[in-house]
Amino acid sequence: MVTVNDYSGKIKPDWCPACGNFAQLSAIKNVLTELKIEPENVVVVSGIGCSSNLPEFIKAYGFHGLHGRLLPVASAVKWANRKLTVIGYGGDGDGFFEGTQHFFHTAKRNVDLTYIVSDNQIFGLTTGQASPTSEIGFISKTTPDGNIEKPVNPMTFALSAGATFVARSFSGDPKHLQEVVKKGIQHKGFSFIDVFSPCVTFNKTNTYDYFRKRVYKYEAKDPSNFEEAYRAVQEWGDRIPIGVFYQVKGQSYEDLDPVTAEETALTERPYRKLKPEDFEEFL
Amino acid sequence: MRDDEIIIRVAGAAGDGVQSAGQIIAKTFSRKGLNVMTYNYYQDIVRGGQSWYQVRASGGKVRSQGDGLDILIALNKDGVERHTNPDINEGGASPLTGIAIFDKSISGYTDRKVTYVPMPLSDLASKHSSFALMKNTVAIGAAMAATGVDFDTLSSVILDVFGKKGKVSEQNVSAAKEGYDYYLSNHKSIGKKLSFGNKRKYLIGGGEAVGLGAVRGGLKMYIGYPMTPASSALHYLAAHARDFGVFVKIPEDEISAINMTIGANYAGARAMTGSSGGGFSLMVEALGLAGMMEIPIVIYESQRPGPSTGLPTKTEQGDLNLVLGASQGDFPRIVLSPRDARDCIDLTSEAMNLAQEYQTPVIVMSDLYLSEHNETVDSIDPEFRVDDGNRPVDGEKDYKRYLVTESGISPRAIPGQKGLMHNEDSDEHDEYGDVVSDAETDPTKRVTMMDKRMRKLETFVRKMPPTETYMLADAEYAVIQWGSTAGVTEEAIDILRGKGHRIGAIEVNRVFPVNPDIGKLCSGKKKIIVVENNYSGQFNRLLKAELGLKTVLVRKYNGEAFYPSELAAMIEGEMR
Ligand SMILES: Cc1ncc(C[n+]2csc(CCOP(=O)(O)OP(=O)(O)O)c2C)c(N)n1
Ligand code: SF4
Ligand SMILES: [Mg+2]
Repeated sequence: MVTVNDYSGKIKPDWCPACGNFAQLSAIKNVLTELKIEPENVVVVSGIGCSSNLPEFIKAYGFHGLHGRLLPVASAVKWANRKLTVIGYGGDGDGFFEGTQHFFHTAKRNVDLTYIVSDNQIFGLTTGQASPTSEIGFISKTTPDGNIEKPVNPMTFALSAGATFVARSFSGDPKHLQEVVKKGIQHKGFSFIDVFSPCVTFNKTNTYDYFRKRVYKYEAKDPSNFEEAYRAVQEWGDRIPIGVFYQVKGQSYEDLDPVTAEETALTERPYRKLKPEDFEEFL
Repeated sequence: MRDDEIIIRVAGAAGDGVQSAGQIIAKTFSRKGLNVMTYNYYQDIVRGGQSWYQVRASGGKVRSQGDGLDILIALNKDGVERHTNPDINEGGASPLTGIAIFDKSISGYTDRKVTYVPMPLSDLASKHSSFALMKNTVAIGAAMAATGVDFDTLSSVILDVFGKKGKVSEQNVSAAKEGYDYYLSNHKSIGKKLSFGNKRKYLIGGGEAVGLGAVRGGLKMYIGYPMTPASSALHYLAAHARDFGVFVKIPEDEISAINMTIGANYAGARAMTGSSGGGFSLMVEALGLAGMMEIPIVIYESQRPGPSTGLPTKTEQGDLNLVLGASQGDFPRIVLSPRDARDCIDLTSEAMNLAQEYQTPVIVMSDLYLSEHNETVDSIDPEFRVDDGNRPVDGEKDYKRYLVTESGISPRAIPGQKGLMHNEDSDEHDEYGDVVSDAETDPTKRVTMMDKRMRKLETFVRKMPPTETYMLADAEYAVIQWGSTAGVTEEAIDILRGKGHRIGAIEVNRVFPVNPDIGKLCSGKKKIIVVENNYSGQFNRLLKAELGLKTVLVRKYNGEAFYPSELAAMIEGEMR
């Protein structure tokens, strides 16, 4: 029997007290436990940022890589051994600035992994600069007169790219967060979950209160309706929807590629011995 | 040029079928048991320009594209003009001294001291097909008749090349026969004594050899973004992906390619990526990630002249500084530089094991010259012992991913192994993999871990095989070369020996870390001459820094490879 304790690492998280990331860490541990997945079969891949420190705090296989590069690593881990449960975890700067191209293409490839973004609308680790999701007018160290660049909408981006699971949640609602993370991990294919995760230290605008006043739980009439989802994710302002906006079945990349499609994981297959016939084309 | 050796050049514009004509000739000779080496001179265009493809064949050793030109097949007037002109020197290539075969419709060229063989190529071709390129096949038939090779071998090659196309294949054989017979009835053989046999030789390209070597070395995933001249390996592996059970992927960019390669190896599947200098430049940050996390990766870096896009279809050895200096901080890296196709197979297999053994990046450095030419190898050994290196057993107590050891090598657990869960980190970490850089920066642990990682290089150096040499024992002068210039250097040495010079060569195919035995091999030599296909002598600088050698430099950086007589003259110039 897997218990939450099995996932507890010996390192105490170094996040500021009340940082949104704590909620995601608990949600991930709880869901993995609930789904009875053994820690040795879980790989958590992250980039660089406050959020990306998460693999250090969970007792599974952790990969704390480079800023913006978690998705290529996570994809290849899945391709190498499709029996593993692969979770990608990073920040908004990590995913929507430095790693934009990987986000787009991984979503489109529909690699079977769950990508959770701790979206605090700021660079936390580097002590408070405007991020790709910072709102217009947002004051930060790099935007002392207010941000003039429009924020990206990660949701429309993920939908346009062809993600097969697109959802949003809020650290301030652990129950909702856990439900969404569970659905994401259970989804076969690329699941994207954007989480409003307040940075209590550097973002004094997008606080818990800010979101508590605005977020409401969205229930899709038909989660496979792309147009409906695309419309829903654009609501912003006084009311901001959270929930699973879009979910469709689709073959994952590793199902489609004839080499990874085979039952046995690549890592478990014997090495291919060469035979003289392999060289015949050169004769 | 030797009597038992022949050089044939096919010249035309891009799109004229120069390369496929050359390849048929090359394969005909390798099937007759000759040693063959091809040379591809081309531009970065799909149509037009001037390109040529040269085939050198002999019963004796063939170690470079060679000097001299016996038969020219010119597919346009410019081809006739250019390759018969003694003053036009395509980066070192010889002008024609033998016969020029071309269509009789070509006229108005300068009359030079060569034998012109205008032939009704198009007329003969049109008897069998209206396809314009069919005249090339007629010309091939004629050239082959001139060398004295039997028609059956030529037709076997044509059938294999056009094989699946049925009718096209028969038409080509008929066209070749027209050319072959026409030449025999109207012209005489060029009088070479080629020692044809019947034992076929393998004719393989350097890029394919890298792919084959990787598979033999346990490759499971190849992830690469196309870039000349590294793409030949990618194409070979993609074509054989199912058969070899290798997952081949072109991702969104080289940053993704190397991070995927790292991810795959982290998870326990041997993976490799490849590119040229431009793509490698994008991989720089992640190279250090592999160094820090101690994840095995193999990178195939096939050089072309830079900077920037440079000369995309030309050759150079100008990326050594890049490869040695890439990424911040110090971490162990191993750089191998195959000399020829055989080395491409052997060293790539070896690289696959070395990466696992030392858990660090191994870079196989080739160049366009080596990656894109074909050469014969007598045999290919299918056997290779794949070794996964230091792996812990499931459930090991108090497992330390980065255990401090004398060799610097620690047990590497992979995801899925029970009880060995741990974190691998791009931040500095301790033996468990726990980060030491954030909360409580720990200078002692930092030094311990740096020393541990760097110790792997010392372990590697201790186990390095001796550096190979050529005619060095009694030599007064030593030439040092690295990578693909080995063959041409040997031929230059032969030329200089023929003139009475006591000279030999040190052939470096393990570039970094530098083998200390190179210093010993140089001791007592009158002069040490370093040969490099680049501007600044990048390897020369490394040798000076590492071994304190006093050297002189011979270099070429016009985009073409060295030619034997050219190199011999350059070396001789430095011997005075
Ligand atoms: C290539 C590279 N550029 C810049 C940095 C510096 N850096 C570290 S984290 C970070 C941004 C963090 O923001 P985000 O990804 O949103 O994560 P958060 O800290 O907010 O969780 C930056 C710019 C880096 N580590 N690597
Ligand atoms: S700086 Fe912000 S994001 Fe980083 S740990 Fe503190 S609260 Fe969390
Ligand atoms: Mg952030």
